Amino acid sequence: MVDLTTILAGFADAFTLFNLAFVLLGVALGQFVGAVPGIGPIMAMAIAIPFTFGLDPLPAIAFLVGVNKGGLVGGAVPAILMNTPGTPDAAATAMDGHPLAKQGKPLKATKMALFSSVTGDTFSDIVLITVSAPLAILALKMGPIEVVALMIFAFSILAGLIGNSLIKGIIAAMLGLLFASIGQDPENFTPRLIFGYWDLFDGLALPSVAIGMLAISEILHRMSEAHGNVQSTIVNKDTGNPDDRRVTWAEYWSCRFTMLRGATIGTILGALPGIGSTAAAFMSYAMTKASSKDPGSFGKGNIQGIAASESANSAVVGANLIPLLTLGIPGSVGAALIISAFMIHGMQPGPLLFENQGRLVYGLFGAMIMANFVNLWVGQIGLRIWVKVVSAPESIIFASALLLCIVGVAMATSGLFGVAIMLIFAVLGYLMSSFGYSLVIFIIAFFLGPRFEKSIAQSLALTNGDLTQVFKSPVAVALLVLSVVSVIWFLRKNAQAEQGLPLDEPSE
Amino acid sequence: MLTSADRISGIFFLLFGLAMYLYVNPNYIEATEGGNISPNTVPNIVSIVMAVCGGLLALKPTNHRAHSSRSMAITGFYVALLTVGLYAMSWFGFEYVAPVLALAIMWAIGERRPLWLGLGVVVVPAVIWFLVTQILGRALP
Repeated sequence: MVDLTTILAGFADAFTLFNLAFVLLGVALGQFVGAVPGIGPIMAMAIAIPFTFGLDPLPAIAFLVGVNKGGLVGGAVPAILMNTPGTPDAAATAMDGHPLAKQGKPLKATKMALFSSVTGDTFSDIVLITVSAPLAILALKMGPIEVVALMIFAFSILAGLIGNSLIKGIIAAMLGLLFASIGQDPENFTPRLIFGYWDLFDGLALPSVAIGMLAISEILHRMSEAHGNVQSTIVNKDTGNPDDRRVTWAEYWSCRFTMLRGATIGTILGALPGIGSTAAAFMSYAMTKASSKDPGSFGKGNIQGIAASESANSAVVGANLIPLLTLGIPGSVGAALIISAFMIHGMQPGPLLFENQGRLVYGLFGAMIMANFVNLWVGQIGLRIWVKVVSAPESIIFASALLLCIVGVAMATSGLFGVAIMLIFAVLGYLMSSFGYSLVIFIIAFFLGPRFEKSIAQSLALTNGDLTQVFKSPVAVALLVLSVVSVIWFLRKNAQAEQGLPLDEPSE
Repeated sequence: MLTSADRISGIFFLLFGLAMYLYVNPNYIEATEGGNISPNTVPNIVSIVMAVCGGLLALKPTNHRAHSSRSMAITGFYVALLTVGLYAMSWFGFEYVAPVLALAIMWAIGERRPLWLGLGVVVVPAVIWFLVTQILGRALP
């Protein structure tokens, strides 16, 4: 597997001034864009990915890691100052962050969000670095039969957890698989569903689909809301007391158990595909409130509330990479975007990644560690500036984001055909989200589709078409049983939700 | 309840799945002999599952509400604007179309302040041009 030389070489590759500059640029850009209401870290990543096309893999990935981590910190700014979280993850942060800002302590609130976010993120990165290689060794022992079973299991979890109904989750997954089948058939290499457009022979480009569905559809949605009503500038209060502009060591230390609990919840939930950071943030917030001696102070500007939600939602990001790097299964929208970035740079996520490109993986880990320190440093300086960024009007933000997406996708797909595909998927994404279908499931199914089909073909070849051979693989049987159990559990959960009974945990 | 969002989307996916299975897949997927899995196997299974789930959703919808028809009409307007912009870009190029497209979008959103309009129409396209052609050394669409 990966030897110590490769690990050290990977870290040495990462810790250069050149890569540090890209991490710094990514973090600053991520924090800036994350602070802009209406964009958020996911859209920032989607826009930034095609612009890394001309870079070497490591600086490109380092830059994107910076954008992702910086975007999370920046995303808390509009949630705290305007009570309008750009992403659902930050909704729990707004519950105590916004009341604190209204008390004239916006910088204290945003700094607490920064410190907790970096703490949670660092915790999950350490777990990722420690467990991913051993997990990849286990994953390598899996054959095509087990891989098919694993994907069925992943689909069963994703369908239940991300969609607001199992049926809609299945439809979103089927639609993703259908669009993934456009292009050449993976076994016979014959054209499928290309309707005479030979540009489609290699399949639909992931950047076109991902950026169209995740970024442009969201911009379209927000533009229709903002139509004819440009948002006015936000005025922030400030008490003028220096203590209200900083977080003291005593305040930070008093939140240590809260942050540890949040980071642990975020890491565990993040490692499971599909649960997402919103559930982690709310679960951590609820547990902190329940265990507090003064639960009545929550929702009124308690910094423990900010620490709980930010440490949890940031911890999810690093942990999301565990299934992505070890199994090739993206567990969230951010992870799906990171996959498209990996593929642009010739990296194929999955257990073989550690064997074939171990040095690059450990370079990525090095970049993640650097990004955490840089996030802290840039945040300390930049938060005063980002607080002013929230006053930028939506009109210029949306126009700029659209132009950047058009140019970015045109570069990634070498022409306007890819941009036209992006626009089609933007409309599809808008309609799907409008009718309550999960875009995340669609994107993940779209990404997994060709691999799923190839694994089925390989399994059939190995078993001579005799599917009962599956029962000779205990791992495959266990995964299929788990799939059935999870589907039954989700059906029960949906039935409970329809009857108005309380759910076990908040859903995405 | 007959026109609830789930019923509409359920009926759509029922018809879409059936159309894919009965017409599109047989006509637009090349049949081959041999191999472990036929090229139309996955699209056919997916189409059938989609049709069945669509039917189930139409029969048993959730209480989900879609965006208002006004919101969808406004989105349709922006999509039309972007389509025209992309078509114009294929003829005249990004340099000439981007400022006009930015102006149209900002104006439609309701921006009337000259400073912000100037930033969006002149500065943003110029920065993108500089970033892509001068720094990254790539061609604009």
